[in-house]
Formats: sequence, structure tokens, C-alpha cells
Amino acid sequence: MKHIKVIATNTICKDKGTGCGECQTGCQSACKTSCTVGNQSCEQKKTHRPEKTVTEK
Amino acid sequence: MVHVYKCLGRWFVLDVESGSFFESDELTAKLIEKRISPLANAMGDFSRYSHSEIEEAEKEIDGLVSDGVLFSAEPVHPEPVYKGIVKALCLNIAHGCNLRCTYCFAGDGQYHGGLDFMSEETARNAIDFLISKSGSRKRLEVDFFGGEPTLNMDAVKATIKYARSVEKAAGKDFRFTITTNALALTDELIDYFNEEMYNVVLSIDGRKVVHDDVRKDAAGRGTFDRVLENAMKLVRKRGDKSYYVRGTFTAKNTDFAKDVLALNDYGFGQVSLEPVVLADGDPLALTDEMTEKLCLQYELLADEYLKRRAQGREFGFFHFNIDIYNGPCAAKRLVGCNAGDEYLAIAPNGNIYPCHRFDGLEEYVIGNVNDKTFDDRLPQFFACTNLTKKEACNDCWAKYYCSGGCAANSIMLCGDIKKPYKLGCELMKKRVECALAIAAIENGAQKE
Repeated sequence: MKHIKVIATNTICKDKGTGCGECQTGCQSACKTSCTVGNQSCEQKKTHRPEKTVTEK
Repeated sequence: MVHVYKCLGRWFVLDVESGSFFESDELTAKLIEKRISPLANAMGDFSRYSHSEIEEAEKEIDGLVSDGVLFSAEPVHPEPVYKGIVKALCLNIAHGCNLRCTYCFAGDGQYHGGLDFMSEETARNAIDFLISKSGSRKRLEVDFFGGEPTLNMDAVKATIKYARSVEKAAGKDFRFTITTNALALTDELIDYFNEEMYNVVLSIDGRKVVHDDVRKDAAGRGTFDRVLENAMKLVRKRGDKSYYVRGTFTAKNTDFAKDVLALNDYGFGQVSLEPVVLADGDPLALTDEMTEKLCLQYELLADEYLKRRAQGREFGFFHFNIDIYNGPCAAKRLVGCNAGDEYLAIAPNGNIYPCHRFDGLEEYVIGNVNDKTFDDRLPQFFACTNLTKKEACNDCWAKYYCSGGCAANSIMLCGDIKKPYKLGCELMKKRVECALAIAAIENGAQKE
């Protein structure tokens, strides 16, 4: 596409089997005074990796 | 819901519900804005574009909409359910500190009580409590916090030794983190931390003048030189294990991007700098009037961050570390840090609190690990007040990146767990905008 480049699609995974709770608790990392969940990683990423789509302009 | 924004001189588009993310030209960004709000960007704004250009861009937008990755519908989220599972503990192993930081939320580490140190027996009881409440969760997290945890190393070591002795039979895998001001680090402690701790958080505020102004020892002397030397020694010996050098910025250093860069210049590759959280009226408190200036700092930082990483320098900034391809699932994004539910804090006397920020507040005592009491009314309340119950967050594009924000900030600064701490929201949104832009730019660079 010429005008809009897809960086990633459907990054918020809603598949069955997610929500296992094994991922890191946000406050155990570095913030301690703010809640940051977006920068945590999925512990099941190998099996529940969201669809990745990157196309060139 | 769709969020269109400009960052680092480029246009980006986030489809909130699917998490799909795009970079676009200005024409397409403005056409999408017009779909969001038909009154925005009157036709005059498009006069410099040809009819065919507009038609072409509109077609691309229509294609993404029909693919379900732009203007995607909000799903019906399941009702929150309290499961009674605990998987992470913050052990406030020492109510006491060898520093006198002027912004300390914990009242010089004593949490507004007196000096107190967790006994080894209480620490072992905390581990037993965690295992007993962890259900099917395998990976359990324990954070040694305070106060300053190095003031009670006997208890720290006893905790780890005990947890390691029981984890296999319990089918668990413990991960330990310690948050230290690094003042009392010795070679022996450094080796111990690098051996046993999954993550180490070292507190330094950035430039020497900034750090020494607010992080003094009990005699009122600045601590920067001593802390920096110790922290560098630890990091040099840490190999590829996880750590963060973590600081706080206040109203005194609203040019905090310089502090993040200074930490990187000292040789720290993994850095975090957090906005201080203090009530209005405190001379160090950040105010709404500072929002624009603070947001600009994040963008300045993002620009330099990209340059340094492109040069091959190790530079991670906690809030820019969004992995858009392997991020948390939808369920995790509704609960955030899970304070008060899966994540709890233990005080030296064994009292259980929703998180470290509530330590010392009588009305937030959930139970005690020594007398084995546990009243699940508060955990139920926290578990059932997830993102979906925070009406003020429903229309916010950043909701899946902060999960409704820090419960302690909402309760302590706004008087209601459902009310977001507005300044914190604005800074969070700017950080997420920068982080996504960085991910897009770096991903594009890798592809070229």
C-alpha cells in the first residue's frame, strides 16, 4: 500500500488458551509507582504469537 | 476506537481494540481523523491533495476496515472473576532505610510506623502462604523491597534458601527480584545477587546534582558517588541477567530526559525513570501545568534513544520496551499488575496488604501470614474492579497498555480505585505513543 504501512495486526491476543497468568507481574519489574502492562511479554509467545504482518509502502 | 497521532515527525494509527498498528502519511492520518470525528479537518485541509490521491488513500483505509484491523469493534469482555490465586509477593523485608530520600512514599522506609525487620520465620511463612495460594501457577515471583532490603540480608538469604528447598516438591519455580539503593553493596552481596536474583533494581536518579539533591544518607550527605560505583560493579559482573537502574524524577528535574541519558552514559544499558507520585502541595510534586513539558521530554528521549540504538549502543528504557508482536494477551491487559488479587505485599510483622504502597494502612490489612488469617473481601474487590469496571477508562485509547492504571495512585490521590490519576494518565499515554513509534521505526529499519 502506498499511503499506510501495516506495522502489526491483531496484537491483542484473544485466543483460547491465553490468560494463563504465568507472565510477569508488572510491579515486579521496575515501575513500582505506575502500572505498565503493555511492555510485559507473553510467556506463551511461542505458541500464541499474534499474527505478524509487515508490508512495505 | 482508533487513535491517530504524530510522534517524532511521523504519523501513526492505532486500532485500539485489535491492537493493530500502522504508520501512514499525513493525508491518510487526516482522512482517518475525519472518520473518527466528521467535523474534524474540514475539506479545506485536503485542498493540497489531488482527487485521485484522496481516493487512493480512502481505498486503502476501506481495505483495512473490511479486514477488521481498523475501526474494529470492542469485544464483549468477560465479567471479572475472583479466583483466590496469589502468584507474586512483595516482601517489605525491612521497614528502615540507610537513605533519607526527600520524596519517599514510605516515610524513610518505615511506612509511617517504626523501624521493623522481617524475621526469618515470617519470611518462611510468607513463602508457604504464596505456595498454598498459588493454585496451578508454576512461576512465582518474590520481590525483596523496603525500606532497604540489604539492611536485613539474613532474612533475604533465609527466604531464598527456604524457597529453593521446597519449590521442586511444590512444583513451583521461584523468581526473585531485589530493589536496592546500592549504598551498602559489597563484593559478597554483588556476587550473591548476581547468582540468586532473577532481576535486580538499582536506584539512581540520574545526574549527580539531581541524585545528591534528593537521595542523601542519614548524615545528610549526597550518595551518588558511592552508589554509582557499587551499581556499576554489580552490572559489570551481571552478564546477560536482567537488571534495571531505576530512578525517580520530580518537579526539580522536569528536564528528566537528561537524567535517563546520563544513566545510559554511565554505562547502564537498562534504565527506568519514574515520575514521582506525591500529593499536590509538596514542593517536589509534579503538577498538571508541567504536563506539556514532561511529555516533550519523552519525545526528546525517544529521538535520542533511537539514535543510540541505531549506533549499536545497549539502551533499554523500561517504558519504551513495548514488544508489539509478543505482548500480553487480552486477559492480562484487563487486570494489569493485579495488585490486591494475584499480587500482594507482606509487611515485616506478617501483615498482608494489596501491594507495597498500602503497607501500614490499617484499613487495607487483608490478613497475616504468621497467624494464617486471610479475609478475601479486599482481594475480591480488587479482582472484580478490573479495567472493564473503570468507566473513565472506557473511552481512552491507551487502556490496554496501562490496564486502568495503578490502583494505589487512584485510591490515594483520587479517593476511588475507579478514578484515574490524570497526570499519570497523560504521561503514560505519551510514553505509549513513543514506544509504539519506536517499535514501528525500528521494525521498519530492520526490514530495509
